[in-house]
Amino acid sequence: MRKQLIAFGMAAMVASSAVTGIAYAQDDKGAVYYLVPTLLDEFQTGSVSALEMFLEQVGYDLTTLNADNKTDLQQSQMNDVIALAPKAIILAAVDFNALAPSVDAARAAGIPVIEFDRQISSTVSDFTSVAGTVEIGYVAADEVERLLTEKNGSVSGKVLQILGDPGDPYTLDIQKGFEEKMAAFPDVTIVTHPVLMWEASNAGTIVSDQLLANPDIDIIFSHAAHLSVAAVASLESAGKQPGDIYVMSSNGAPVALEMIRDGWMQVEVEQPLYAQAAAVAMFMDKIVAKETIEPGEYDVLGLTSVVSDEEWGPTIKIPGAAITAENVDNPAFWGNLQPPADPITSVE
Amino acid sequence: MSPSQRNGLEFVLDNLVWFMLLAVLAIFSLTIPNYFQPGIFANIVEQSSVLGVMSIGLALVIIAGHMDLSVESVAALSAMATGILFATSGIGLGITLTPGWLVVPVSLLLGLCVGAVIGLINGFLVVKIKMNAFIVTLSSFIWVRGMVVALSGGRSAQGLADEIRWLGIQRFLGIPVTAYIAILCFVGFSFMMAKTRFGRHLLMIGGNEVAAFRAGIKVEKVLMIAFVLSGAIAALAGWLLAIRTSGATANLGTGMLFNAFAAVVIGGVSLKGGLGALPGVYAGVLLLSSINTAINLMGLPAHYTQVIHGLLVLAAVLLDTLKQSIRKKLA
Repeated sequence: MRKQLIAFGMAAMVASSAVTGIAYAQDDKGAVYYLVPTLLDEFQTGSVSALEMFLEQVGYDLTTLNADNKTDLQQSQMNDVIALAPKAIILAAVDFNALAPSVDAARAAGIPVIEFDRQISSTVSDFTSVAGTVEIGYVAADEVERLLTEKNGSVSGKVLQILGDPGDPYTLDIQKGFEEKMAAFPDVTIVTHPVLMWEASNAGTIVSDQLLANPDIDIIFSHAAHLSVAAVASLESAGKQPGDIYVMSSNGAPVALEMIRDGWMQVEVEQPLYAQAAAVAMFMDKIVAKETIEPGEYDVLGLTSVVSDEEWGPTIKIPGAAITAENVDNPAFWGNLQPPADPITSVE
Repeated sequence: MSPSQRNGLEFVLDNLVWFMLLAVLAIFSLTIPNYFQPGIFANIVEQSSVLGVMSIGLALVIIAGHMDLSVESVAALSAMATGILFATSGIGLGITLTPGWLVVPVSLLLGLCVGAVIGLINGFLVVKIKMNAFIVTLSSFIWVRGMVVALSGGRSAQGLADEIRWLGIQRFLGIPVTAYIAILCFVGFSFMMAKTRFGRHLLMIGGNEVAAFRAGIKVEKVLMIAFVLSGAIAALAGWLLAIRTSGATANLGTGMLFNAFAAVVIGGVSLKGGLGALPGVYAGVLLLSSINTAINLMGLPAHYTQVIHGLLVLAAVLLDTLKQSIRKKLA
């Protein structure tokens, strides 16, 4: 009897694993490659985890290749991946224009290409999911307008803008959006300095120098949260207290949220990482099947996002949000590192 | 040329970088509003702290006739180790020690050990296995940075314990504490180079390794120590970087190797080895920081920083060649 029970148990286990295997096989819709520009910042590493999670929910296996911020390496990776004939390639380009021929080559080989986070407008792709770097600049400008009014009673004062690496189109786009909108306020002086290679201590040095050259700075706006950390260290070293000079940055990294809680930072403009990744997964079946993606409004993790038919292909724009002390604990912000619990579903 | 004229010329040649520094400071003070003030000079000295410390280790190995390209990555690894263990947010484990001040020596010791071990690996491969120092340390430059990325997973460790942060932000007589640490290092290692047998042996080995060996100097032992020191000093630079920025990111210190190289060359250390003094290296570091500050104050695009650094290195090498030619004529 005991032997029979054991045999029955083993048979049940085999059957169970076979069923699971079949179920897994049915869900396995194929391989998707994600070409990430670098793994040296938290947004990018976060994007890998988020894309892996959401794509798995809709049945795809994700493999990530890191270009280490090298354009030529990413071009080679594109060539290699094309040879592997995956279901799709997700590309966050190191250089927006230099990768355009590779996008064309992939599409010519019948592989759909999805632009993630970094929009390539010089050639056609199958889908683009972005927060809009120019739009992040707009949101930042709105917040500067609000903060200056709060601090000085009018939209006037001095803003130190700390860019990322001057060779990175990501930061140049934010600068474009920010300055475009700030042009409406002639009483605001913007002092701009780039940080070579996005290296934090360079940002600290800039702040130290500028506190002496421009002691009347009202707001420091840096294009990444880790730059603000060094900026705050320089403020502390200069004897400043939280709120003496307002600090804001963009990308929504966890450290920024910590600085808001500590009172050192007033605003962080979030790139909606989870929603950007979720949007890719939601539309993946349609992209792979080369079906038309209808323009219109879609709900992506609770954010109303708009798909538009652009000359470079269908594009979904997820709105970025301003994080302040009032909403900093909202779990929807990726900086709180609480991925959405509910699985996403493919768009029918 | 009279002996006094000759001595005067030799003095100028030996201290050319200091004269260059004074000239640059004078020009900037006259031409850039806000430049001539104590706060700016404090900033220049502060900016020189991390780069200065890193340059010391690099200079020691170059004076010995070798090369250490790994210093930047070693600094990053040391910073990340400090960040991961003692920072409270991001990937920081937030380890606390009792009493709290222990975190300063413990984190420093840990960083120094990490750097020394990598220096030991570099030294072993170069000195014992006779591999090319350029290739060995280039490899270390890559794999150590890879370790930083792997350890951090690309995420940052922020919010160092207050006891460490105090050192990073505190000033004494208007000068940041980190700058005093760098100056102390320069004084200590300058003394070592000028007054100890190890320093003299290092110079002799760099001048002519075979002759030094025949003169009874334990070449392998001295070179091993030089590489270990270079690694440990680079780790100290990384630790300073972490406390100055209150944490660590995976790209912390990126690009510092080239600036350290520029400082060493501008400071008069011969790439052929056997020639150079650490006070000159410090002057080279101060010169680069002065120019960076001027660029910041003038609002010039940062691209020009690299252009100017590159041209300065070229000018330094040219001057070095001219100096050697003049010395030959004097001799």
